Amino acid sequence: MDPSEVEFLAEKELVKIIPNFSLDKIYLIGGDLGPFNPGLPVDVPVWLALNLKQRQKCRIVPPEWMDVEKLEEIRELERKEDTFTPVPSPYYMELTKLLLNHASDNIPKADEIRTLVKDIWDTRIAKLRLSADSFISQQEAHAKLDNLTLMEINTTRSFLLDTLNCMYKLRSNLQPGSSGGKAQDHQ
Amino acid sequence: MPGERKPMRYGHSEGHTDVCFDDAGKYIVTCGSDGDVRIWESLDDDDPKSINVGEKVYSLALKNGKLVTAASNNTVQIHTFPEGDPDGILTRFTTNATHITYNRSGSRVAAGSSDFMVKVVEMYDSSQQKTLRGHTAPILSVTFDPKDEFLASASCDGSVAVWKIEEQTQVTSWPLLQKSNDVINAKSLCRLAWQPKLLAIPVETTVQLYQRDSWAQVGTLSDDLGTQAINVVAWSPCGKFLAAGSIGGLLTVWDVESKLCVERQTHEKGYTVCGLAWHPLGGQIAYTDTEGCLGVLDGLSSSSSSSSTTASSTTTKVSLWSYMEQAPASYNDLFDDDDDRPMDEGISEGTCSPAKNPGDEDDDDDLIPATGRARNRSAFLDDENSLDTGSLKQGLDKFVDDDDSAIVPPAAAAAPLWPVYDGPMPTPPQKAFQPGSTPAHLMHRFMMWNSVGIVRGYNDDQDNAIDVEFHDTAVHHAMHLTNSLGHTVADLSQEAVLLACPGTDELASKLQCLHFSSWDTNKEWMVDLPKGEDVQALCLGQGWAAAATSALILRLFSIGGVQRELFSLPGPVVCIAGHGEQLLVVYHRGTGFDGEQALGVQLLQFGQKRRQVIHGEPLPLSRKSHLSWLGFTAEGTPCFIDSEGVVRLLNRSLGNMWTPVCNTRDNCKGKSDHYWMVGVHENPQQLRCIPCKGSRYPPTLPRPAVAVLPFKLPLCQTTTEKGQMEEQYWRSVLLHNHYGFLSSSGYEIDEEGQSQAQKEQQELLMKMFALSCKLEREFRSVELAELMTQNVVTLAIRYASRSRRMALAQRLSDLALEKANQLQGEEPQEEEEEEPLQYTRRNTGSGLGRSGSAGGQNRVTNVLDSMMLSSKKPTALLSSSGSTGKLNKTPFLKPLAPRPKTKVQHNSVYVRHKSGFQLWLEDNRRIILADNPDLEETDVIKEAIGRFRTLSADDRLTWTERAKGQSGDVADMKKRKRGEEENRGDKNGQSEADETRQSEADETSAKKKKPFDTSAKLSAFAFNKN
Repeated sequence: MDPSEVEFLAEKELVKIIPNFSLDKIYLIGGDLGPFNPGLPVDVPVWLALNLKQRQKCRIVPPEWMDVEKLEEIRELERKEDTFTPVPSPYYMELTKLLLNHASDNIPKADEIRTLVKDIWDTRIAKLRLSADSFISQQEAHAKLDNLTLMEINTTRSFLLDTLNCMYKLRSNLQPGSSGGKAQDHQ
Repeated sequence: MPGERKPMRYGHSEGHTDVCFDDAGKYIVTCGSDGDVRIWESLDDDDPKSINVGEKVYSLALKNGKLVTAASNNTVQIHTFPEGDPDGILTRFTTNATHITYNRSGSRVAAGSSDFMVKVVEMYDSSQQKTLRGHTAPILSVTFDPKDEFLASASCDGSVAVWKIEEQTQVTSWPLLQKSNDVINAKSLCRLAWQPKLLAIPVETTVQLYQRDSWAQVGTLSDDLGTQAINVVAWSPCGKFLAAGSIGGLLTVWDVESKLCVERQTHEKGYTVCGLAWHPLGGQIAYTDTEGCLGVLDGLSSSSSSSSTTASSTTTKVSLWSYMEQAPASYNDLFDDDDDRPMDEGISEGTCSPAKNPGDEDDDDDLIPATGRARNRSAFLDDENSLDTGSLKQGLDKFVDDDDSAIVPPAAAAAPLWPVYDGPMPTPPQKAFQPGSTPAHLMHRFMMWNSVGIVRGYNDDQDNAIDVEFHDTAVHHAMHLTNSLGHTVADLSQEAVLLACPGTDELASKLQCLHFSSWDTNKEWMVDLPKGEDVQALCLGQGWAAAATSALILRLFSIGGVQRELFSLPGPVVCIAGHGEQLLVVYHRGTGFDGEQALGVQLLQFGQKRRQVIHGEPLPLSRKSHLSWLGFTAEGTPCFIDSEGVVRLLNRSLGNMWTPVCNTRDNCKGKSDHYWMVGVHENPQQLRCIPCKGSRYPPTLPRPAVAVLPFKLPLCQTTTEKGQMEEQYWRSVLLHNHYGFLSSSGYEIDEEGQSQAQKEQQELLMKMFALSCKLEREFRSVELAELMTQNVVTLAIRYASRSRRMALAQRLSDLALEKANQLQGEEPQEEEEEEPLQYTRRNTGSGLGRSGSAGGQNRVTNVLDSMMLSSKKPTALLSSSGSTGKLNKTPFLKPLAPRPKTKVQHNSVYVRHKSGFQLWLEDNRRIILADNPDLEETDVIKEAIGRFRTLSADDRLTWTERAKGQSGDVADMKKRKRGEEENRGDKNGQSEADETRQSEADETSAKKKKPFDTSAKLSAFAFNKN
């Protein structure tokens, strides 16, 4: 899965915007949106919010969790716990990126939020690497991956699978008699 | 003497503390360096209420339910008491305030600060400040002259100064104290105290008394045991005694006249006393120390009496209580105050409290008139000293002795010290304000937030500017103006921005209008008001602007700047609001008492028929609240909100009464949270407001988000199904009143929405009907049926007959007939008007669908844009269509009388408004008449009902549906009507008319799927219930 695909999925998330135009309900395949009243918050998918924002048709209200204090709390918790802690949104990284890139003027303390989210992300990815390492070194058959987001799984998936395949190939090569055939199966 | 000094309580963390009593003496209020204010119900209160007001609190003062605190953030804040909600900031200093105090009436607060300044601030208008400069070191304490003329202050520069407040000049100054460089280094806090004639200044171990006006020292109070400097002094409420607390923890009470020490107590641990307050009734002193502990010195009378038991009757130290009783009498000579004799009854009873309102008392055992004095007082004492009965007994005995011997004071001669008015106190009138603006003293504030946009004002060091921003950028782009004139009030509409500034000494008050929608190039105009006249409130309507001024004049301008009418207001304006052709003015009708505002309201209508709709009636506010928002709903119904958060809407169908539609405080999570209103919409039912956590209004940054609250009428028992439906029904009726108003004032209305609303109402009625049927409430069912339209009554009849309630069905059918007749009675008059009406409607019909659906979210634009005055006033518009009949319905109480047959025949062409049964009846009347020729009209109907019931269910359904299908589109109906009239002209035969009708009914039912569907749904509902 491509990160851009994950981002595409994230764009379906709802976000509050304050439109500066008036429009009746619009009926889309994904559901009805609106009505849009100038000055009145309304929930729309991120893709529409960004589109409207780029055309300067709305202000985006940052999601509740996109707040320095809350993120700091999450970061501390993430650092304290050995396992993955629940994240505020299954698409927190994507949303942060999208919203901060396109609507940083509507988000108070955008820079701090960017740093915080990056911190959380880094902590989690480090944990992921560590657990992958111990997973392999202890030769476990399965691992529990609670509270991981799609994007996080995605960053490690291709690498981890390829590595495991590779290792399997190497291991099976070690055993005499079963050289080529089996490794081929796992390609 | 352990009986009087109660054990100390831990109150605050270590550090400076302060204490005071509330007005009634019910609570002890303390503050400390932990930043909390604690409200104690008594010393034994284990769970005092805590309010956090800052990091550290230096001083507090309490009066009239307003708690003023000096906190470490350099501000003097107000909190409500006893709720503890923040109520704004009174004033600021460049560093912390050290001492604050109220004046006697509670109208002003004086604050001394470490920045060498003393400020005197009006409680109700914090912009009116007087600054007293002259001290050259931090201020230690301040005190008001009880007559409000002077103020005394002590400072670290060693001086105690007296100021004339009005002129802000120093009257005199004494170098009495030791110099120091800061309050914490000062040897004594030197809390001053002022009683009408005497100013008490603690100087080292003594208290010096200075006389008012002559400013000469008249005495010194000292105590031999006092070895350390006196920190605080306080006068007893009667002014007879002076209490002092010293560094070493010594508490002393002097009788000032004799200069004798009547009470002496030492702090149990010898900590420094830094806060001291007398109970408003005397008899109790609360004190706090620098370790944060609170102590109470109670039952002062018993203390002195017990100490004097050995001295028996020849004692020189008489009970303090006896002293106090005498005090008024002697003081009467001492301070020749007049005109207060009538008030002596309550006061003679041992309470020397002046300016107290007995009505406020909760514990008024001490206010019983002066009969049976000893008994009453013992009751009082019992109350005070209930903890130690031993000493109480002694005290009591002593008292009886005292009373019997020579000290009994003549009750009639007792008089208080200064004029006492114990009736209701006048409320300071609320100031003029712009609805939708935040207070003017803020540096960054909203000058207007309404449904069009936001006007923000910035007034700080770098910038004095105004930002105008529109919710809908299609109206106009955002504007940034430099505010060189110092505009303070603003309004915003689809057409213009209106700004005004108050006048100064050189410049007159100006009204500036940015008419951005003007089609010429000149988009701005400005008007100077006559000298001395200030704009206090302004508003914009459609094509006009209005400004209310301090000269009690309301000036109207056209939006282009032409001066129009002006008229006088009956009182000082509070605020004004405009919408379309309507102007709403709220002003002070008179003086309110006991926290109430006396506001009046006028509603004026301009345009074609100029008139006053509401003629200065009182504005119904909640108890002890003031107006906080006034305006119109997007649909043009006047609406206002008071400080208690109750939203009230004008009910035009109920003689212009105000109906409460919501309490925004019910939606608040916290006690001090509020909702700040920005707009009200009736369709959809929305209250748009900004949630404010812990304040009444939002800050400009971060940009607040609008929330939507629902309407909720405060009907009874809304948890029950019945209550819920009733609430829904009446809410729907109330919030759709605007259709009637709009159409009667010649505006286009959203007919789709209107019929939708009626459908909803009828559905609710039907549900309620079914519910009351289920509960065997047949009478109630009929009452509900009276509110229904005729079609729905038919359904109700069926529901009743299905559930075998024949009596009910019978009554309902009578009702249905009555309704039908009533409807027919109205119709002939409307016929003449129908032609032009139809024209209007057709004309705009195409655009209506769109504007109707957009009007689903109705902003002002939509409504106003689609509003155009039609040339003819269609007054009877509503009653013309069958489905709108309910708007002018009234509970119809006339009993059904047999009507002349001819009339019925004459009217029979209008049968399409009738039920299926009636259709059937028309068809079968002849047969019935033929069978029973001698029947009366009512009997015919009865017979007919019987026969109709014998029909199969399917047959009946066909009839009903035929009836439904015919009451469809209004225009169609009219066409048919004309056709039928021709028919009648040709031939009076029923059968042919029936044929026409039937064929047309088929047509309509095919064409008008929608109304058919509705009734089918309703009837399905009726059946399901069965």
